[in-house]
Formats: sequence, structure tokens, C-alpha cells
Amino acid sequence: MKRRNFLKGICAVSAVAVTAPSALLAKEAPKGENALTYDAAVSAITGGKAVADSDKVKLTVPEIAENGAVVPVKVHVESPMTDAEHVKAIHVLSTKNGNARCADVMLTPLNGKGYFATRVKLGGTQDVVALVEMSDGSFLRAAKPVKVTIGGCG
Amino acid sequence: MAEARKSMIKFKPKKFKVGDTIKVDFIVIHPMDTGLKKDKKTGEVKPAHFIDSITFSLDGKPFTTMKVWETVSTNPYFSVNLKVPGKGKITVDYTDNTGEKNSKSKKLKPKG
Repeated sequence: MKRRNFLKGICAVSAVAVTAPSALLAKEAPKGENALTYDAAVSAITGGKAVADSDKVKLTVPEIAENGAVVPVKVHVESPMTDAEHVKAIHVLSTKNGNARCADVMLTPLNGKGYFATRVKLGGTQDVVALVEMSDGSFLRAAKPVKVTIGGCG
Repeated sequence: MAEARKSMIKFKPKKFKVGDTIKVDFIVIHPMDTGLKKDKKTGEVKPAHFIDSITFSLDGKPFTTMKVWETVSTNPYFSVNLKVPGKGKITVDYTDNTGEKNSKSKKLKPKG
């Protein structure tokens, strides 16, 4: 499999599958109007506050994504979700897409669980990051690598 | 005039009681174009066209809001939880970057 050629965005698309979004990668993409690097996105979200890697943030992504256009992401943060102590926001980011942001989810105690799931596009192999803001203003993080292969050329 | 979008709200499990924490899934048909791809037929870049904001409400009161970017997959799927307080109506209001607004509702009917 000419995997590296895929990452250079050469590969064609099968009749039904969605195009592998290699154009999303920061270094290859023309500047989209929402382009923002991972570091800049984290800064914008945290205001420069410290972020702690935490086991309380369970991030589930596939180790290998056959199709970079549809990568399932699940985030579950251990939290009582009471008024006094709850997850305020879950931010899903990627480290190498031209726009590092995927979704910002503002939760409330009525959610009952600090949980969010979605499917994202990854332009190539990179990390998916769950950046979590707690009600006490602290920030937690979990990151996992996803290898993006596009199954079969043409 | 904007065409009405197909979307679906699903509760998991389907049968639940007051006090249970259930999953609320929302799926909508939308291209989520990034603005970085060319239309194969015309050779023109397809403009960015993606859902950028979603609000989940119960009887008109928001309990989850989302800011969504073009990096979310086409025909997007979103899932959050809800601790069921009683009977009510769940509404998902969503807008996209062209200003198109849509809404989907589903009755919340706990048993017991």
C-alpha cells in the first residue's frame, strides 16, 4: 500500500467513500479561514492557564482509522456533575489539522455525565486531544494518537 | 429558501425512568464542507458549509451548547447524556455558517 502517497493527498476516492481529507493537514492545506494551530487553540481556550494530563479524562479513539474522514471520538470525564463540581466544557482538538478545533461542548449538571461523542476528520496521522474545563476553572487533558490510513486507492 | 434538513434525535436506552441518565444522540444530514476541496465536476472550490452551533434544550431551557467546526465529519453525529428529570420535550436547535437555522424536537417520556 502506498501509504505515504496517501498522506501527500494523491490518492483517489472509492465510489462511495468520502474523500480522505488530507487537505486538512496544517502543512499542506491552503489557509482555511478557520485555520488555527493546536498551540494557539489551546491558548485561546485556557487563556494560558496550566493544563494537567489526567486519568479522569477517558478518551476513546481508534488506534488505526481506515478512513480519516470519519474517526469516532468518545470522551468521558469522571465527575459527579453536581452544581458544585461538574465538567464545564469538553474541547475536542487535533494536533495537526489546519484548524485544530473540532468541537467545543458546554455541559451542565443536567447532563448527568461528563460525556461527549462525535466523529471527526483527520487529515493524517496525529493525536486527538480532549481538553476539559472543570467548574473550578481547572483544565485537564488526555491525548491519543490515531494512525490514519485510507483503505485502498481508487 | 433553505431546504429542511433531515435529522434525528435518539434516546438510548429507548425505555427509561425519571432519574436515569440516558444518552441523547443527534444525527443530521449536512455536507460539513471545509472550504478546502474542489468540486470534481466544476473544478471550483466548494465553499465552507458546515454546522457551527448547536443547542440542546429541555422544555426551552438549554442544557448543552456546542460550537462545532468544519473538522467534524460529514453528516455529523453528536452524543451527550441527560439525567431525566421528568416528562418534557427535547429540542435541538442548530445553525450553520451560512446562517441557516434548523430545529428538531422529540418528546421525553419516562416510564415511572
